[in-house]
Amino acid sequence: MRGSLPIVAWLSAVALVSPVLAESDSDAGSALDIMRASGEGYRTALPGQPIGFPQDHLAHPDYRIEWWYLTANLIDTEGQPYGVHWTLFRTALRPVDSVVGWWRSNQMWMAHSAVHTPTGHHYEERFARGGIGQAGVGLAEAGQFNAWLDDWQLLGTSDAPVPGHLSTTVNGLAIELDWQADQPWVLHGDNGFSQKSGQGQGSYYYSQPRLQITGELTIDGTAVPVSGEGWLDREWSSQPLARDQQGWDWFSLQFDDGTSLMAFHLRQKDAEPYVRGTWIDADGQSRSLNEGDLVIEPLEWGEVVVDPGEGTRKSLPLRWRIELPSQNARWTVRARQADSWLATLVPYWEGPVRVEGSSGGVGYLEMTGY
Amino acid sequence: MAPATWPVTSAVRRVKAGFARLLRVLLTLLSHYRRHPLQTMFLLTGLVTGVALWSAVQVINAHARASYAEADQVLGAQASHWVRARQGQGISVDDYVQLRRQGWRSVYPILEQRLTTAEQGVISLIATDLLVLPADAATGDSGLAEGGWLQLATPPFEVWLPETLAQQLGVESGERLQLSSGRELPPARLFSREQQGLRAFMDIGAALTVLDQSRLSYLVVAELTVEDEARLNADLAELNPDLALVANQQRLDLNELTQSLHTQLSAMSLLSFAVGLFIVFNAVRFALTSRRHTLTTLRELGVSQRLLLAAIALETLVMSLVGTAGGLALGYGLSLLLLPSVAATLQNLYGAVLDHNLLLQPQTLIQAWLLTLAGLLLALAWPLWRLARQSIQSQRDEPADWQQDARARRRLLGFSMILAVLAVLLYFRLNSIVMGFTVLALILFAGAGLLPWSVALVLQGIQRVLPASAWRLNWACGDGLAQLGTLRTALMALLLALTANFGVDSLVDSFRTSLSDWLQQRLAADLFVQSDTLDIDALLAEPGDWLVESHRRNGLTVRWQDRPTQIRGLNTETSDTRALPLAAESDRASDWFDGAPDVIFANEQARYLAGIELGDRVQLPVEGQTVSFEVVGFYHDYGNPTYQFYLPHERVEALWSTAGEQGLGLWLSDDADALARAEAALTRAGARPGDWTRRDDVLAISLRVFDRTFAMTAAINALTFTVAGIALLASLLAIHQQRLPSYAHWRSMGVSGPEWLLIVGLPLGIGLLVTWLLSIPLGTLLAGLLIYDLNVLSFGWTMPLIWRFEPALTLFWLTLAVAGFTFAISALQVRLRLPQALKHLGEDAA
Repeated sequence: MRGSLPIVAWLSAVALVSPVLAESDSDAGSALDIMRASGEGYRTALPGQPIGFPQDHLAHPDYRIEWWYLTANLIDTEGQPYGVHWTLFRTALRPVDSVVGWWRSNQMWMAHSAVHTPTGHHYEERFARGGIGQAGVGLAEAGQFNAWLDDWQLLGTSDAPVPGHLSTTVNGLAIELDWQADQPWVLHGDNGFSQKSGQGQGSYYYSQPRLQITGELTIDGTAVPVSGEGWLDREWSSQPLARDQQGWDWFSLQFDDGTSLMAFHLRQKDAEPYVRGTWIDADGQSRSLNEGDLVIEPLEWGEVVVDPGEGTRKSLPLRWRIELPSQNARWTVRARQADSWLATLVPYWEGPVRVEGSSGGVGYLEMTGY
Repeated sequence: MAPATWPVTSAVRRVKAGFARLLRVLLTLLSHYRRHPLQTMFLLTGLVTGVALWSAVQVINAHARASYAEADQVLGAQASHWVRARQGQGISVDDYVQLRRQGWRSVYPILEQRLTTAEQGVISLIATDLLVLPADAATGDSGLAEGGWLQLATPPFEVWLPETLAQQLGVESGERLQLSSGRELPPARLFSREQQGLRAFMDIGAALTVLDQSRLSYLVVAELTVEDEARLNADLAELNPDLALVANQQRLDLNELTQSLHTQLSAMSLLSFAVGLFIVFNAVRFALTSRRHTLTTLRELGVSQRLLLAAIALETLVMSLVGTAGGLALGYGLSLLLLPSVAATLQNLYGAVLDHNLLLQPQTLIQAWLLTLAGLLLALAWPLWRLARQSIQSQRDEPADWQQDARARRRLLGFSMILAVLAVLLYFRLNSIVMGFTVLALILFAGAGLLPWSVALVLQGIQRVLPASAWRLNWACGDGLAQLGTLRTALMALLLALTANFGVDSLVDSFRTSLSDWLQQRLAADLFVQSDTLDIDALLAEPGDWLVESHRRNGLTVRWQDRPTQIRGLNTETSDTRALPLAAESDRASDWFDGAPDVIFANEQARYLAGIELGDRVQLPVEGQTVSFEVVGFYHDYGNPTYQFYLPHERVEALWSTAGEQGLGLWLSDDADALARAEAALTRAGARPGDWTRRDDVLAISLRVFDRTFAMTAAINALTFTVAGIALLASLLAIHQQRLPSYAHWRSMGVSGPEWLLIVGLPLGIGLLVTWLLSIPLGTLLAGLLIYDLNVLSFGWTMPLIWRFEPALTLFWLTLAVAGFTFAISALQVRLRLPQALKHLGEDAA
C-alpha cells in the first residue's frame, strides 16, 4: 500500500506547485501527468545499490520523495477494532547541488495522521518547511531515530525506528503507541529496489511487516488501551511512475498464521495492471512475487463519501480477490469501513481491511488515482 | 351571490379608475422631462453626482470598518493574541520552532518591515509561512493552493504586490524593486492575499533570506481557550522570559482611533451631496417654471389637489430611485478610485490594513435612497406642492420673476443671518467633532445665502455709478440682475466648492508647513539607526572622531486610558532634547531636564483627547502597579494617533525592565568621510545596510507619506469642484435655452455678437468675481475652524494657520477656466440655435 504514497507525496508537491492542478476536478489524474515527468536533477533509484542500516532509516534529500509510513490494526480491551495510520513525507522542491539549510532548504515535509474508531474515521494533515527544525528525520540527542513534524513524533529506542514509539494527535484525539518486532526488515523487489513499471521506474523500498503494538488512544478525554499489529514502510525515489500508469491499489496483509503479503496493483492505460508483491513467511523469510505469481482483481465497487459537507461520493473497489496460484492460495480482502477517504491536499482512500480465504487476517489498503 | 359582489366590483372599478387617473396625471407631469432632455439630464446629474460622492465615502467607511472587524485576523487567519519580545527585539526562529514542537500549532510567524526603495518610496512588507498558516475554518484552505506557493518560497522567490501598490511604485510584473539598502526584492507578481492591504507579501523564508535577517517580528496566535492561554503563558515563561503573550485589541483600538477620520470623510461627502442638491434645486426651478401652465391646466381640467399631490409624490419616488441607482453605480466606481488613498491614510496613520474587495452593503443602498429622497423632497416636492396648492387664479396672476427674485434674495439674506447667529452660538459650546461640522455647515450655508444679495448689491452699485451714456453696461447690469434668480443656485454651489477648496487647501498647507518645520527641528541628528542586531554599546565604545554626539532612546508601549500608549525614554543632555520645542509648559518643566523623578512630558494627543492639563497627575502602569507623574509640559507629536509620554532615559530603564531600544541618533563630524566611517563602524558593530537612514531621507520619506495621506482630500475637493462646474454649465445652458427668443429679439433689434457677449458675459463675470471674493474670507474661516477646533478635537494636534494667497489665486484661474469653458459651450449652443429662434420670431410676427 505504500506504493500509493509516492502518488500522495508527488501529488502534494504538484499541488503546491500548480494551483491549477489543485483546483482541477480530477486531482489525481492531473497530478499523475506530472508524476510521469523525469526526476532530472535528482538521484535516480537504480537496482544494485545495497541498502544499509541504520543510515538508510534516515532521509535521502537528494532523491525527490521519501516517506516513513506506519499502519496498525488494533483492538481495545473489549475487542473493538481500531485503525491507525501515520505518515511523514519528505519532498525536495527543486534539485540543488548541495544540501542547504536554514530557510534556504529545498526540503518540504508533510504528515498525515488518521484513526479509524468503531464509530468513525478522523484524519489531520500538516505541513512544514525543512531547514529550520520544525520537521525532519534524524537522530535525537541520545542517538535515537527521530522523525517529527511539530509535536507529532516517531521516536526509536535506538538508531532504528523499531522498537519505537509514536506520539501523535488527530484533531484533539491523542495516540500513543509502542512497538517492537521479532522479524528482520524485509527488502522488497531486487534487494530493496522495487520496480514499478516495465520501463524500469522504481523506488527503494523495505518494510517491517510485523510490529507488535501496545498503546493508548485518548478519545474525548477517555483513555482507551489498545493492542495489535502494525506495519512500517520506508520508501524513496525520484521518479516512481511510468507515463501510462493511472493510479494504484496497495495491500499490506498480515495473516493469522504469521505470514504476510505486500502487493501492489498499478493501473495502466491500454495495458494490463502491473502487479508485484512480496511474500513473507512466519519466520521473516521473504520472496518476491513477479508477473504471473500474483493475481489481484476488484470484486465489488461501493460508494464512498469524499466530501461530507457537500455529500459528494465516489465509487471505489471495496472488495478484492487476491490469488497466489503457485501456493494455491486465495483470499477476499474487504474494506472494514467504506468511508475512509482523506480529503487532504491530495485526496486518497486509506483504511483497514479484513482478510478471508485460505487464511484469515487483517491489513491496510490504499487506493489512489480514482 | 349577486348583491354581495356588487359593492366589491364597484370598489375595484373605482380603485382602477383612480389608478388610471393617477397614472395619466403622472405621465403628463413626467412628459415634461421627455420634452426637455437637457433639464432631465441636469436634474439627474445633480442627484447622481451628489449621491455618488456621498455613497463613495460611505462605501469606503463601511469597508474600512469591516476591515477593522477583521483586525483579529492576519492574512486570513485568526489572530487572537500575539507573542512579542518584551523589548521589541523580535523572536528567534528557534523559539518559534520550539513552540511548534511543544504542540502550539496555532502559532505562526510574521515578519513585518518598512522598507525604503531606492527612489525613497516606502513600502510595508509582511511575510509569513503559508505552510503553517491555520487553515480557514470554513473552507479548509490554508492558502497553499492560492497563487503558487513554490515560486513564492523557492529561489529566485517572488514578492506579491497588490496592483495599486505596484502602480504607485511603478513596478511591472516580473520586475525587481531596488531598496535604499542596495538590496533587491525578488521579482514582483501582481497578486494579493486576504488582508494583505497595501502591503508587499513574501514567504517568510524568502524575506529573511533576501533581507538578510535572522529574527521574526512576532508570532500570531490563533484562537486560544482560557486554559490554553494559561498554558501558553507558562510555556513561554519557561522557554524564554523575554517573550510575552499579548491579547490582540487592534479591533477595538482601530475603531476608536479612526473614528475622527471617518467623521471627517462623512462630513466632506455630505458637503458634496449638498453641492449636488444645488444642481437639483436649479433643475427643479426650471422644471417648475416650464410646468407652471401644465399644473394650472390640470387643475382647470378638474384634477383634484390630492391626486396632483399623489402624482408629485410618485414623481419624486421615481426620480429618487433613478438618482439613487445611478449615484450608487457611479459612487461605487468612485470609491474604487478613492480607496487606495484612504487605505494609504489608514495604513500610514493607524497601521490599519484595508482589503481591496469593496462591498456594497444593503444599508448603504437604503441610506443612499433615503438621503436622495429627503433631498428631493426638499428640492423638488416642496415647490411643486406649493404651486399645486395655489389657487388657479393666483397662478395666472403670478408676479414678475424679478419681483419674486428680489423677495427671495431678501429671504435668503435673512436665512443666512439666522444661520450665522446659530453658528456663533453653537461655536461657543463646541465640544465634539459632529458639532464642529455642524458649525462648519452653518457657516458655509450662511455664506451661500449671503451670495445672491451680495452679487445684486454689486450689480446695483455699478448701475448707480455708471453714467447714463454707458447704456450697454447699464443694460448688462440690469440683465444680470434679472438673470440672477436663475443663476444664483449655481453660484451658491460654486461658492461652497470654492470655500471648501480654499479652506482645506489652507489646512493642508498649514499642516504641511508645521509638520515640515517640526520634523526639521526634531530630526536633528545626521543618521538614525533602528537595528535589532546592532550592539550599541560596542558602537559607542569604539573611539572615532566621526561621531560628535549620540542619542539613544528606549521605550515601550503600555495601555493607559484603555488605549495603546507609548512611553519613550530620552537622553536629557543631548542637543535635540535640550532644544525640544514645547507647546505648553509649567514652571516645573525645567525639573524634567534636571531628571526629577516625578515629572513627565506628554504629547498634545494626551492633552486634547485624554483631557489632561499641566499640573495634572497621570498614573502609568509599571509592572503590576502604577506610578504617578506630574505633567509639566506638552509637545507636538504630529501624525501619531496614540498617546505618548517622555521621561528621562534612565527613569524608563529603572521603572520598566521590559523597555527596549527605540532607535539611535548619531551626529556626525564635518569631515568629508564621516558618513563612510560611520557606516563602517555601524557595520562592524553588527548593523546591516538598511538599518540606518540619513536625515534628509527621513525628512523626504515623512513628507512623502504626508502627501500620500492627504491625496484623498485633494481628490474629494477636485470632485466637489467638478460638481459645481456641472451646476454652472447646467444653469448657463438652461438660461440660454429659456432666453433664446429674447436673444432673437435682440438680434433683430441690431445687437451685435460682441455686444451680446458683453451683456450676457459681464454680469456672469461679476457674479463669479463676487463668488470668488466671498470664498476667501469664508475659506479662511473654514480653515481656522478645521485647524483650531476640529483638528484638535479629532487628532489632538495643534498648529498655527498659515494663510497664503496663492491657493486662492489658483482657484481664481480655475474658476475662470471652468466658467470660460461652460460659457463657451453655452454661447456655442446659442450661436447654433439662434437662426432657428429668429425664424420662429418671424413666424410669430407673421
